[in-house]
Amino acid sequence: MHAPMNDSGHQDVVSAFAERYHALAGFAHVVQNPAEAGAKAGQILREAGATLAAMAGLPEDLVDPIVQGLAGAGIDCDSGPFPSVELPGRIDRASAGITGADFAIAQSGTLVEVATNDAVRLVSSLPRTHIGIVRARDIVPRFDDAAPRLREIFNAHGGGCTVSFISGPSRTGDIELKLTLGVHGPEIAHAIVIADGER
Amino acid sequence: MASQRNKALYAKIADALENPDRSRALNRCMQRGRDNRSRAISALPDGLEFRNRVKAIKDRCTEQQESLLEKFVVTARERGAKVFLARDGAAAIDYVLELARARNAKSVAKSKSLTTEEIDINDPLLDAGLRVVETDLGELILQLAHERPYHLVFPSVHKMAADVAEIFAKETGQTIPPDIPSIMKVVRAYLRPIFLNADIGMTGANIGVAESGTIVIETNEGNGRLVSSIGDCHVCVMGVEKIVDTFEDALELVLAHPVSASGQLPTTYVTWMGGRSPLGAGEGKAPRESHIIILDNGRAAMRDDPGMREALNCIRCGACMNICPTYSVVGGHTFGYIYPGPIGIPWTAGVHGLEKAGDFAALCISCGLCKEICPAKIDMPMMIAEVKHRDACVHGHSRSEQTMMAADDFARLGSALAPFANRTLKNPLARKAMASILGVDERRNLPPFAKESFTRWFSRRTSRNEGAAHRVAFFVDVFANYNRPDLGVAVVDRLEALGCEVVLPEQKSSGYPYVAYGDLDRAREVAAYNVARFAPCAEQGCDIVAIEPTAAYCLRETYPKLLHHSRKSLLVSDHSYELFAYLNLREGGAAASDDRLRGKRFGFHVSCHQRPLGSGRDAQEWLRRRGADVTLIETGTCCGMGGTFGLKAGPLGYDLSKAAGESLCAMFLEAGVDAIVTESSVCAIQLREGTGLPVFHPLELVAGPPFE
Repeated sequence: MHAPMNDSGHQDVVSAFAERYHALAGFAHVVQNPAEAGAKAGQILREAGATLAAMAGLPEDLVDPIVQGLAGAGIDCDSGPFPSVELPGRIDRASAGITGADFAIAQSGTLVEVATNDAVRLVSSLPRTHIGIVRARDIVPRFDDAAPRLREIFNAHGGGCTVSFISGPSRTGDIELKLTLGVHGPEIAHAIVIADGER
Repeated sequence: MASQRNKALYAKIADALENPDRSRALNRCMQRGRDNRSRAISALPDGLEFRNRVKAIKDRCTEQQESLLEKFVVTARERGAKVFLARDGAAAIDYVLELARARNAKSVAKSKSLTTEEIDINDPLLDAGLRVVETDLGELILQLAHERPYHLVFPSVHKMAADVAEIFAKETGQTIPPDIPSIMKVVRAYLRPIFLNADIGMTGANIGVAESGTIVIETNEGNGRLVSSIGDCHVCVMGVEKIVDTFEDALELVLAHPVSASGQLPTTYVTWMGGRSPLGAGEGKAPRESHIIILDNGRAAMRDDPGMREALNCIRCGACMNICPTYSVVGGHTFGYIYPGPIGIPWTAGVHGLEKAGDFAALCISCGLCKEICPAKIDMPMMIAEVKHRDACVHGHSRSEQTMMAADDFARLGSALAPFANRTLKNPLARKAMASILGVDERRNLPPFAKESFTRWFSRRTSRNEGAAHRVAFFVDVFANYNRPDLGVAVVDRLEALGCEVVLPEQKSSGYPYVAYGDLDRAREVAAYNVARFAPCAEQGCDIVAIEPTAAYCLRETYPKLLHHSRKSLLVSDHSYELFAYLNLREGGAAASDDRLRGKRFGFHVSCHQRPLGSGRDAQEWLRRRGADVTLIETGTCCGMGGTFGLKAGPLGYDLSKAAGESLCAMFLEAGVDAIVTESSVCAIQLREGTGLPVFHPLELVAGPPFE
C-alpha cells in the first residue's frame, strides 16, 4: 500500500487534486463525511436539473448516505443491481451517474475507477453528468504513484478487470483544435472528496 | 523532365498553393498544437527530460520485442482474452470477418485506430454487410466525407466548423448551425444509438502491457470507453510495437503522448483493460469476449532494418506534423499515404512499401525540427534521408536535386568566373535558362560570388599567434568561402584578436544537401573526408569552429551518424563549436558596447539546424553584450527555406518554400524591427525576400560599416 501521510501533507494533496481537477474543467468539492457527500451530490444534481441518477461501484458504507442525500434533493436513484439484459438501456435513461473511485492522482487531477462489472463503466460514461467520489486518504500525489497500485489491482483480479483513469469531462479538439466538452460522455464532471478517513 | 510521379505531387502542391486560406487555417491549428505542447511542458517538473526516458523505454522494448510479445500473449490469455497474431492486414481482416460471421453480428462501432486505417479494415467489413461506424468525432467526419486521415491525432483538422456542420446536415437531414456546440449536440444524439446497439466494439490500443496482459486505450471523447463497455464482443487491433514491459513503462508513455499531441497531462480517459469484465451482476451477468489482434504487417522487417528500426519508437503523438513547415502548407493528404507527416515517410516505407513513401518523401525539406520535437527523439531526418536514398537508387534524382547536391562545385566555378557569373545571375534570360537546365528558381535573388575565395585569401596571408594556447581549426563552408569571404576574414580577425591561432585544414563543404536529397553514399564520402582532416586537429587539442549553422550541425550531429559513430567522428563532434558559442567562451563575458548598434531594434531568426545546438542563444547574447536590442522572433517552425530546398525551381522548391515562410515573415513585419539578424546564409535570402527588411549576419553588424 502507499505510504501514510501526515495531516498537513494530505491537505496539500487534496488541494493539489482539486486545483488540477478544476483546471481540467471539472468541479471538485471537499466534504467532511459521507452524509455531507450525499447532501453535496443532491445539491449538484438538483442544480444540474437531473431527475434520475444511476449509481455503481460505491463502497457499501457510502451507498446509504448518498441515496439519502439524493432523496433529500428529490432525485430518484437507481443503485442496481443491473442485470445484463437491461443494459445498457437502464443506465442510459439516467441523467446522472455516481461512481466510487478507488483512488485519485493529484498531479493529473485523475479519478481512478476499478471495474470488474462493466455496469460501473457505463454509469460513469453514458449520463451527461458524472460525480466521482473518493476518500481523501486515497489520493496519491504523483502520476508515477499509480504504477504499484495498478500492479496490485490487476494482480488481485486474475480475470476481467478494467481500470479507468478519468480526468475531467469528455472533451474533443477535433474541430479546429478547439476544446469542446461533452461530445460522447459526461459534459459535466464533479469530484467529491471525503476528507474524514480512518486516521 | 518531371516523372509522372513528380507531376502528381506538383499538382497536389499547386492545389494547396492555390488555396492559401486553407493552408493558413491549417497553419494556425498547427501553431495552436505547438503552443499547447509548450505550455504543458513548462508545467512538467523536469521539462523535456521525459524524452530521454521515452526513448530508453522504446529502445529497450524494441530490443526485447520477441520476448515481450510472448509474455503479453501468455498474460492476456490468462485473463481470458483471445489473442491472434496477424502476419498482415489480410490475416487480421479475415479473423474479424470470421468472428462477425460466427457471432452473427450486424454492426461494429469503432473508436479511433490508426492501425485499422493502416490495414483498411472498414471496406471489407462493409462489403460483408456489416454496418461499421467510426465514433471518434474526427474519424466519423472522415468516414462521412470518404477521406483519409489528414493528421495522426487530429484526423479531420482540415475541416472547419462550417464544413463539419454541412457533413452532418447531409447525414442527418437536420439544419445545423455552423458552430461547434450545435454540432456537438447533433453528434451526441447521432452516435448514442450506435453505441447502444453495436454487436462488436472495435478499438486500437496505445499500449500493451506485457506484465499483466493489459491493453491501454487513450481517448478524450470517451468513445473508446463506450465502444469497449457496450456489446458482447470487443476486438482490439494493435501493432506489435505497442507492447511495453511494465506499468511504469506504460505510465511514462501515457503522459508523453498527450503532452506532445495536445498539451494534456494525460488524456481525459485512459482505459486499462485486462481481459473482459462481465456486464451486469449476480445471476444476471453475461459472458463477454475479448479479442486482441496483434499485427505485424512489416514491423518485424522494420525492426531488422537498421535504417528503419527507430520508426517503431513512434508513439503516434503527431507532434512532428505540428512542427513540419511543408506539412502545414500541403496537409496530410499530400504529405502522407495513410500515415501522414514526417514519421509517415518511414512508416509508409515499412508497411506500405518504398514506392508509396517515395511518392511524398521529397516534401521533407530536411530542416530536422521533427527530431527536435519528437517525444521519443526519433531521428526522422536521417530515416527520411534513407528512404530518399533508397528511392533514388530506383528512380534517380531530379535535375534540381542534382544541382543542389553540386552546389559546392557551382560555387567554386562561380567564384573563379566571378564578374561573368555575377552578370549571369542578374540576367533574366540566363536565369530562365538556369531554371530549365539546372532547376534553380529564377525568382530567387542569389548572392553574388567574390572574386577571391576565403581559402585563397587565407593561403596568402601570414598567420598570427602561432603557438598560442588556443588553436582553432576553421570550417568555412560554401557561403563564407565563395560568396562572402569578408565574413570569413571577420571570423579570423575576431579569433586572432582573442589570442587564438587560426588554421584552415583542407576541407569540403558540409555536404548536407546529400543528406537532404538522399545520396547517402556521397554524404558519407564527404563526412569521412572532413572528419579525416579535422580529427588530427582535434587530437592535437584544436577547437573546431564553423560559421554556418548547418555546417556546425553536420560536425556535431550528422557526421557521427553517417559514420556509425566512429571514434574520429565523435572526437570531431566533441571539439566542434558554433562560432558564437566559441566567441562567448573565449571572451568570457567581456565586450565593449558598440555604438553602431545603438538606437536600432533587431529581430533574431534561429536557423532550424541551430535548435539542437543552443537555438542561437549564443549569437543573441554576443550581440546583447555589445548593447544591441535583439528580440527573438519565431513561430517555432522553419522559415521555409530548408537550406537549398527553396532555391529549387517550381512547386517543390521556391513556391512551397515561400508559402511555408509566410507566417514567420509576417511576424517580423508586425514586430516592426529595423533589421533581421541570422547566422544562416540561406535563411537570410528567404527573409530578405519575404520581408523586404535588411538581413545581417551578426558579424556584419559590428565588423562592417555602420548600418543605415
